[in-house]
Parts: sequence; C-alpha cells; structure tokens
Amino acid sequence: MNPALAALAAVTIGGAVLAVAARDVRSAVVGLLVVLVGAPLIADPWPTPLSILVRIAAALLATRFLVIALRGDLAGTGTRIGWPTEVLIGAAAGLVGYGSHGLGAVGLGAAEAQAAGFGLAALAIAPLITGRDVLRIGIGAILLLVAASLVRSGLDGPLTDAEQLIGAMLTIGLGGAVAVISIAARSAGGLEPIDLKALERGRRTPDAHRASGSRRAPEAGRTREPGRTGRRP
Amino acid sequence: MTVVPFLVIAAVAGTLSLLVRDRRGWSTLIALAGLVLMTAAAAAIGSAATITIGGTVLAGSEWLRLYALLGSLVGFLLVAIDVSAVHEPDVPGVVVLGLGAAVLALAIPDPGVAVVAATAGGLAGILVAAPIEAAARAAFVGIRELRALAVAGSLAIVATAWLARPLDDLAGAPAAFGLAYLAFGIAVAVRFGAIPFHLWAARVADAAPGVALPLLMAWGPAAFAAVALTWIDQSVAPLVLPLGTERGLIAAIGAVSVVLGIVAAWIQDDLEHIVGYTIAADAGFAVLSLAVLSPEAWEPGRTWLLIFVVGRSAFAAWAVAIHGGFGTRRLPQLGGWVRRAPLLGLALVVIASAAIGWPGLTIWETRVSIATLALPDPLAALVAIAPLASMAIYGRILWIGLQAPSPVVLEGRGDRPGWPTSVPRRPMVGLGAVERGFERAAHAATGALDVIWVLPTAARQNRMPLASAAVLALAALALAVSGGGLGVPEAARAVPAITQPGPAEGSEPGQLGPGDGARPSDEPFPSDEPFPSDEPFPSDEPFPSEG
Repeated sequence: MNPALAALAAVTIGGAVLAVAARDVRSAVVGLLVVLVGAPLIADPWPTPLSILVRIAAALLATRFLVIALRGDLAGTGTRIGWPTEVLIGAAAGLVGYGSHGLGAVGLGAAEAQAAGFGLAALAIAPLITGRDVLRIGIGAILLLVAASLVRSGLDGPLTDAEQLIGAMLTIGLGGAVAVISIAARSAGGLEPIDLKALERGRRTPDAHRASGSRRAPEAGRTREPGRTGRRP
Repeated sequence: MTVVPFLVIAAVAGTLSLLVRDRRGWSTLIALAGLVLMTAAAAAIGSAATITIGGTVLAGSEWLRLYALLGSLVGFLLVAIDVSAVHEPDVPGVVVLGLGAAVLALAIPDPGVAVVAATAGGLAGILVAAPIEAAARAAFVGIRELRALAVAGSLAIVATAWLARPLDDLAGAPAAFGLAYLAFGIAVAVRFGAIPFHLWAARVADAAPGVALPLLMAWGPAAFAAVALTWIDQSVAPLVLPLGTERGLIAAIGAVSVVLGIVAAWIQDDLEHIVGYTIAADAGFAVLSLAVLSPEAWEPGRTWLLIFVVGRSAFAAWAVAIHGGFGTRRLPQLGGWVRRAPLLGLALVVIASAAIGWPGLTIWETRVSIATLALPDPLAALVAIAPLASMAIYGRILWIGLQAPSPVVLEGRGDRPGWPTSVPRRPMVGLGAVERGFERAAHAATGALDVIWVLPTAARQNRMPLASAAVLALAALALAVSGGGLGVPEAARAVPAITQPGPAEGSEPGQLGPGDGARPSDEPFPSDEPFPSDEPFPSDEPFPSEG
C-alpha cells in the first residue's frame, strides 16, 4: 500500500461523506470540491503537472458554478442516516474495493483508486435513489461518475493527458448541469424538484373506496363551517 | 484531414453561442455559421486520417465522416427551422456542442475514453432540458435526465474498464464478460430512453424544446450506441462465450421498446410525445443490434443508427414547424392543418415513407437483418414488421389534418407564401425621350433597392413557408438515407483503421481471445462474401478466421 495514495483516498472519501451528509449547501460544495480535486490524484504514477492543473481548474470551475447557483440562505435535506453511518459505509466499501483490486484479474492501476471508487459509489447510492432535493441528487450523480472514473483508473492504469482533459470536460459539465438545475429549482421556490403530475395525482379524490365522512375529500369551493374542526389539529 | 478542425470549430462556435445567449439573434447566427463550417470540415475528414494528442489517438473513419456530415447538415436545418418557427433560447449552441462531443466520442478508438466523452456531451442537453423560465417542471426533468446520464455513463465506464486489459484467469469466466456486456447494453438502453427505461425520456420530450429532441434522444445516444457496438465487436463477441441469458435480456428490451414505443406513440395527442415515443421505438432496433454477438450485426447496426437519427430528426423538425405555425402541439386542436400547410403535409408523407419503407429499401432490409439476427424466428418476423403499424400514427395525423380547419388552425400562419405590400408605382413625369429614359433607369434602380429593403420583412412574413421548405428538404434527406443513398451502407460496412486491443492481449498462447478472433482491422468487412452460415453466429463455434 502506498501511504500517500491511501491518505488521498481517505480524504476523498471524507469529502464525499461531507458532500452527502451536510445540510449546509456550502459545506456540501466544499466536500464536492475535495472529491473533484482529490480523485484525479489517486493514481500511480501521478498525472503530469499540466494534467493536475487542468483537473484542479476544472474542479474549481465546476464548484464555482454551484456556488453561483446556491447563493443565499439555503439548506439541503442532508443525510437521513447520519454522518457516522455514511463514514462507515464509505470506509467499508473502500475496504471492499481495496481487497478486490482488479476484480478477478491483475489491476494495472493503484488499488487505492479502486478503493476510493467503491467508497464514492456506495455513498452515491442513497442520494441518487432517495434524494429529495436537486442538489443532493446532483451530488449523487457527480459522485457516481467520479467513482466510475476511479474504478477505471484502478483497473486500467493512469490516464493519458488527453483522457485527463476529457475528464476535466466531464467535471465542468457536471458542475454546470447541477448548477442549471439548482437555479431552475430555486426559481420555483426551493431545492426540491416538483413533480406536477405527482401533485395532480395526489389531489385526485379517491374513487376506489366508499366515501365516508372522515375520508371524503372536500368539495371544490366548499368552506369550512364556523366552529367545525378536522380530525387532526 | 483529421477530425481536429471539426472539433475545434464545434467547441468555439458552441461556446461562443452560449456565451452570447442573452442576444438570441447573435447566438443563433454564430451557431449557424459554426454549423456551415462544421459541414465543410466534416466533408474533408479522411477515413484513415489519425492524429495523436496527449497520448490518445483520434482516428477518422468513413462512418464517422458521414455521421459528422449528416449531423452538421441536419443541425443546420433544425436550427433554421427553429428560428423560423419558435426560436427557442440556447438550442443552437447546445446542438453545436452536443454534436462536437458526439463526434469526439466516435473519433476515439478506446471505448473506455469514448464513453466519458459521450457522457460529457450528453450533459450539454440539460441546458435545454431544464430551461430556467419553466422552473418548476424544469428542475424535475433536468435532475431525472442527469440521473439517467450518470447511471448510464458509470455502467459503461466500468464495463469497458473491466475488459480492457489482460484478464488472465478471468478470461475463462463467462459471468464477468456477461455482466460487463449486460451493463453496457443497459447503459445504451437508458441513454436512448428505451422501454422500460423511458420515464426520464418521456418527461424530457414533454419539457425540452422540440428542436432539441433529436440531439437529446437520438444523435447523442446513437454515438454512445456506436461506441457500444465497437466495444462488443472487439471485446465480447470474439470470445464466443455462452451469453444466452444476457443476449436474451438485451433483445427483450429492444423488442419491447419497438412494439410498445409504437403503441405509446399511437395513443398520444401531443406531437412532441409522439416524436419521443417513435424515437424510443426506433431506438429498440439499435438496442437489438447489441444483442447480436456476431460480425453480421456490424453493418446493419451502424446503418440503422444513421437512418434512425436522420429520420427522427426530420419528424421532430416537422413537429416544430407545426407548433410554430399554429401555436399548438395538441392533435385535437390541429384539425385541417393539411389544408393550411400542404407543404408540411407532403413532408409528413415523405417522412412516413422514409420511416416505414418497403421491402427492398435499405431501411426495411436493415430492420429485417437486425431482428432476424437478434430474435428467434416468429418473434423476429413480428418485430421486423411492427413498424408497419406506424402507418396508423402518421395516418391519424394526416386524417386529422384533412378535416375541417379548427379555429386554432384558421388563426395560424399557414405555409402559403406572401409578399409585403409593394410601394406604389411612381408616375412618369419626364417630357423628352432622354429625360424619360433617365427617369426609367432611376425607377428601376430604386425599385431594386425597394425589393432589397423589403427582404427582411418578406422573410418574417414567410416564416412558415420557409420552415416548411426546410422540413421538406430534411424529409428528402431522410428518404435518401433510408434508401441507402450517400454511401450509408458502404460507410457502415467499413471497419475503422485503428482498433483497440481487447482483453486477451497478453493471454496464454492458444487461449481464445478477442485479438485472435477479431476481423483484420486494415480491410473492410467482406460484404460480398457471405457469412459461412445463414444462421446467426453459433455461440459454441469459433469465428471463421480461426477455422
């Protein structure tokens, strides 16, 4: 094990934990910046200085897009299972990734890259599947693609300069896409996306059950009588 | 010439167009100029021209040249129709950037890098799928599209990485290859929005501008599918592994998408939904071509991709022109549209002919080939003739158009050309012959100037006829491609000059691997020499080159 690469992998997974667990959007963006800067560096041999500069610039640009989109007092939903659980998930998946380096054959890249990739992928699953706000789902999407790139680096070896450039394009595109979606969501009132069809479905009165007094939907235009209260306060 | 000039023009024009997005006219003009230059650059791409940049090879091919050329032409016409009809913001720049990213993905011989480029290009579409003006709906649609792109991209990246190295003992484990193959197949289905992965695509079809639909749902995913075809041809097919279950799953997705896509399109009332579901239906054949693990799938698979993208672009352009002309996309409100827009009626007939085809036409034979290779016999016949049911879709639209004009259609523009009111004729006041001669010359000169000054007004007044003419041109292009024109089958048949080594490189002598069984990369696929058997490639026998 290369201690420097292991430390980088740990920091990257830590950044991912911060990104998925924090309710404060600034902290989440900082976590994402750590992931985007750290992930390309988990390689043996290291990328060329020019590649590192390009990747850092791309990471800064992507997070800058997000900062522009998320100005003001905003709070995401954060994790529902708590950050210690996220840390455990990331660490456990990282160990699995390290132990299974090569996935059945000899891996040409660093085992630490595959470990970080597995950790990020595990942390991305919950936001992608159960995320309620666009920032959280967007962070999940970014982490998943970074995780795939890390696994590729672990299996196939270090990327060429052109591949680093294409990876930088992907990073910028991801940051821009999440920023555009976040701005659209904020224009509608918050970070939670609105499924208009789902809302319409929610408003539909039940027609498969007998209408009873307690379940009957209020009729359109009907006002509550004075002194009459619902079942719930 | 290499593909680099095309990529540079696309990057510069697309970025500039988006940077000046606040000035919509300039943004569109820059994109149109870029598309003209891209057309010229695409025509000059050499089929064997390669260049190495930063350790990665960018290689041209005949199919890539045709994809770039058709993409630039279709992109130009789509943007022109959009300007004439509805003029949506950001679309021109996104079309240019998306096309550039797709061509970059196709130019990279290493599928592992190509899928990253194809995924990055797909992200450009979110700009138009999540327009800020329609905030509430946009955020929901945009985040769904991003999630689909991320899942598809990740599956493809890991699948290609897994098999892109010497695999030692793993080469004997079919499950590993099956998983990777299945992952990439599903990734392609997700990118196309094939049924049952169509939910995100249906919402994109609802929210995104109609003119951007071909890029989001056809051109970008088609590049992704072309990369998948190349990867399967290099890394999975030559191993001749028993992957019946995986093939069956991918074939089932393709067949279900073809049949249910047509049914879904038939019952829709919104034109963009109809366009979206016909794209999903046609994408089913692209997915089916991935289920064939034999060299026979190479030509029909890549032929179908070109036919599919051009044909669906023409249909999307037709829907945009109707929307621009009559201000609605809902079929029940479009009664009598053919009477007000006969050119568009003619275009729809051409588009339907190009989409359905007839026995002997390239599109028909391609569909039959793919279905026969991917599916068992009775099912193959059913899927191959399923597109005939599309006649009901186009027939329904035409039938509504032949009814009495609805109030919405009567208030619409119609595609009969008009001319602005001319300046009154100037009276002759000269007395002598010489004087009258000078006067006539002066009148002729000022009359010519009047015509020139009135041209912008005439263009604005004839937006609908101009859009209709562009749609008709696009429909004709679609029919030409469906008929095998422009050298589509030949381009699809050719094998790229540079191919990436497969996983068996470095494996033990005598061990079966992709490098052993792959076709020679320096010669085209021998189309005049039939495959030894008329049956689909037998999974338990080695490739012909191995004896």
